[in-house]
Amino acid sequence: MNAEVETGRPAATRTYRRPMSAGWWTTKRHYFWYMVREFTALPLALWLLWLLYEIQRAGRGASGYYPPSSTPFVVFSAICLLFALYHSFTFLSLAGVILHFKVLDKPVPSRLIVLSQFGGWLVASVVIGAVLIGFGR
Amino acid sequence: MAEKRITIRATRYDPEKDKAPRLQSYDIPFTDDAMVVLDALNYIKAHVDGSLSYRWSCRMGICGSCGMTVNGTPKLTCAAFLRDYWPRSVTVMPLSNFPIVRDLVVDMEDFMHKLKSIKPWIIRKQELPLGAGEHRQTMDQIDEFRQFSQCINCMLCYAACPVYGLDDKFLGPAAIALARRYNLDSRDQGVKERLPMIADPEGIWECSFVGECSVVCPKGVDPAKAIQQTKLDTTMRFVLPYGNRE
Amino acid sequence: MSETAARKPALAHLIWWFMFAQGGVLAALLIPVHILVQGILGPLGIVKVVDRHYDTWISILGNPIVKLYLLVLISLPFFHFAHRLRYLLVDLGFPAAKSFPAQVVFYGAAIVVTLLAIYVLLTTAPLALG
Repeated sequence: MNAEVETGRPAATRTYRRPMSAGWWTTKRHYFWYMVREFTALPLALWLLWLLYEIQRAGRGASGYYPPSSTPFVVFSAICLLFALYHSFTFLSLAGVILHFKVLDKPVPSRLIVLSQFGGWLVASVVIGAVLIGFGR
Repeated sequence: MAEKRITIRATRYDPEKDKAPRLQSYDIPFTDDAMVVLDALNYIKAHVDGSLSYRWSCRMGICGSCGMTVNGTPKLTCAAFLRDYWPRSVTVMPLSNFPIVRDLVVDMEDFMHKLKSIKPWIIRKQELPLGAGEHRQTMDQIDEFRQFSQCINCMLCYAACPVYGLDDKFLGPAAIALARRYNLDSRDQGVKERLPMIADPEGIWECSFVGECSVVCPKGVDPAKAIQQTKLDTTMRFVLPYGNRE
Repeated sequence: MSETAARKPALAHLIWWFMFAQGGVLAALLIPVHILVQGILGPLGIVKVVDRHYDTWISILGNPIVKLYLLVLISLPFFHFAHRLRYLLVDLGFPAAKSFPAQVVFYGAAIVVTLLAIYVLLTTAPLALG
């Protein structure tokens, strides 16, 4: 890598800059899982685009309508679900780090905040699941 | 019984002679189970190779001078025990993401500059007159910022941060945590003055919460938490019309 | 080492981060159950899902509250995805992803998805009030 001349120092002194390797995230477990966490955005985006397509499909009328059922689709969903769960777990856990507030002058412990996030997730899932299944036949 | 030995591989770089850094191996006695990497470096310098250059001072984890990359992880060499690595060799390299001056010594200029840039002092809109006495603080008020005041400026967090590694214009974990330390201090009234540095594109927004900074911090400062809380507070300040007391 | 250029708070970054945060919360809370039920349990026939038959699907899609919910579910997380994928590119060694044109492309794409979702939700099923 090119050496660089530091301003203000005698010409003989050159600091050496080490380039960062493109594969930096493969060198540590924590870095790798961080990249996985960031990557979850892609499968989730694709699945939501599929959902939009499903909604649009209903607009084509009753004849020829078929429910989603193909095996490749189920496999795709299963993979997306893994990424979605990883996103939810990491995002809601980290919310406990970020959110800080006081109740009656006492700071709320972060564990409680995280627990409430996961509680909210459970409630939302149950409600939405109930609607999706309850209105089906 | 044969004397226990350990191999230390250290980066050598002489800017006047070398084109690039290289690793040099030293085989030294590992006599005391309490030996740390810094002890090994001091032994090498005293008995084997006096030309080895590195920074150290207190040797007890409070001055922040002896940070280096030990087997790929940023560590205080006074806190890295040889027994945790033996019988494997220990590779000691300069702290990542900083230019190398010589051997294990890195250029700290950027770090020092960034610390100063966030105005790490009590800023008052109006100074209290001397007769009014000192600023009084309760223990609860100190607890608000205590954690973020524990930083010993060891730069391990900058070495661990891939965002800083990819772009050294990033303000960085220690600087932002320090800014938060002052913003949360009840004596301080300088949140607005620090805002341009903090909320600059190369300030808090560049952080993508990798979190490695908090993992390597030897003092439990949790700079990642400081940065994320600053993002939230800065946003709430903007969103809420009457401002948010941070 | 670098000279400090004029530093000022970046409003755009604040907004993107805020959208990222709320989009992330919504994605975390809402998406998994949809994938589980509509993507796995329903297609495998384990449960009867609302999109199994045309009439139930079109009927629920006509409900304005459902339309609003689906808009929120589909479009807001895309601001989260746009932000994350933009920074993923930065992490992979493409600093150009920080540039203004890149912001236009990524957040513009999220806006496009939002508009698309509005269009699909308004035109697919007739708005059934009451």
